[in-house]
Amino acid sequence: MHQVGATFLQIAATVGGMAVLAGQIATRVATLRVDGAEFMRNLYKMGVKSMPIVAVTALFTGAIMVIQAAPLVERFGAHGLLGWGAGFGTLREIAPLLTALMINGRVGANNTAELGTMVVTEQIDALRVLAIDPVSFLIAPRFLAMVLTLFLSVIFADALALLGAAFTGDLLLGVAPAVFYNGLTSGLLGIGDVMSGLVKSVVFGVVLALSSCQYGLGVTGGAPGVGRAVNATVVASAAGIFILDYFVSFTLD
Amino acid sequence: MPPSHPSIPDRASAGPPSSELRDLAPEQSGVAAVGSAALSLFASARELYSLFVRTLYYCAKGRREPGAVLVQMYEIGNKSLFFLTVVMGFIGMIMVFQAGQQAKRVIPDLTMLGATYLELLIRDLAASIGALMLATRVGAGIAAEIGSMVVTEQVDALRMCAADPIDYLIKPRFIASLLMTTCLIVWSAAVAFTTGMVTAYSMFDVSPETFMNVSLVDAGDLATGLAKCLAYGAAIPIVSGHSGLSTFGGSEGVGWATTRAVVNSSLAVIVLNMLISAAAFLIFR
Repeated sequence: MHQVGATFLQIAATVGGMAVLAGQIATRVATLRVDGAEFMRNLYKMGVKSMPIVAVTALFTGAIMVIQAAPLVERFGAHGLLGWGAGFGTLREIAPLLTALMINGRVGANNTAELGTMVVTEQIDALRVLAIDPVSFLIAPRFLAMVLTLFLSVIFADALALLGAAFTGDLLLGVAPAVFYNGLTSGLLGIGDVMSGLVKSVVFGVVLALSSCQYGLGVTGGAPGVGRAVNATVVASAAGIFILDYFVSFTLD
Repeated sequence: MPPSHPSIPDRASAGPPSSELRDLAPEQSGVAAVGSAALSLFASARELYSLFVRTLYYCAKGRREPGAVLVQMYEIGNKSLFFLTVVMGFIGMIMVFQAGQQAKRVIPDLTMLGATYLELLIRDLAASIGALMLATRVGAGIAAEIGSMVVTEQVDALRMCAADPIDYLIKPRFIASLLMTTCLIVWSAAVAFTTGMVTAYSMFDVSPETFMNVSLVDAGDLATGLAKCLAYGAAIPIVSGHSGLSTFGGSEGVGWATTRAVVNSSLAVIVLNMLISAAAFLIFR
């Protein structure tokens, strides 16, 4: 009972901390007090450097979608519907979800480690001593870069996953890419499906950025503390992603 | 920069080093970049293979230490239970909701929703989504723990005592993960199916009796699911133990190791998923 209460209080404290951080970031962004150079540096480090992982994940995910749909397709002989099935699953759920999970591991964890190291080595305090606002110099650029990274990565992943799916369908089931493309564009899928995935990507980006910054700034206790914080942040972000995924899908329909 | 930094291939396979090193290192271009990426990939694959073989050797020939395995089973299994239950519960709701929503556009009849969902859950979803979550939770935990030990020179102390860190650190985690991943995935399949059943009942008026339909599940599906459990359970501790053991460079290094463990074990899960799914499709079709 005591343990449950303590866990609950801890979760409430983390969520509250994230909300306060979000407020601070929002005021910095609204008054345009965001460090541009740091933003570009983070965009390169988070976005461009994650491209290989996003690409590999997306190609394999598209392939898996088709392999999983294959028995159903063969059972009903519905080769024309393969494009629709793979497309709707990929665009609405799988591409945003898996991209967010990979970015969580690569960028979110990394960001926590970096901020945590800065906290442990007292670099954040040094910034404050120099009258530089750590939120507008460090946190807000990272937040914006992470949201933008996830948004762009999901667009990229959508395209690559469909490419992987079309290729696997051709190889495994003998569905020609043209048939796949027709299934994709036959009217069962609309721009709404793509938008739903993109809205999700922005929501996931906000969760990832807030939780990784929050945990990174809250590091205590040297090198093991950084490890613990990274562990906590990936777990919290993953849970947050799935929980919000449900609510976003639910409100969009 | 530490005076005795690792060799170039080690550093390349160990992910991005601290930023000063990157600025000092000459920028490679074109063929050289592709070649060094391929070489480092090959080196990592060989290291992982050797770690895997040595772990298997110690499982057969090493010291018997049920206590350490039990501690790790608690660490990997019981501590992930709450996290996995929450995530799989939401996944069950999302999947059934989306599938029902889409199926209504094509076929108005939703009686086969439960049967198809259960088949997909057993064959793929429970194992793969559960393992991705475990890769995040367990992989990060293993890498952070072993990485801290490496940075504080506890692993070197083990080697000084003529104890192989693989025998003491990796083997218990490997056995524990192999057992607990299977248990956790069976549990997560049950959770996801239950929440899916509730969603189908409340959203699409599919009664639980209709939803709980095992007619599409055959031996091939069960075998595929089980093979995935075992493969993921073996891959996660090996991959993240490897990145933990190759940690260098203080608290920042522990952060890098953890990141690498999460990314690499997630990638391992996705790649294994594709290989096993394709093999199963070709065998059991």
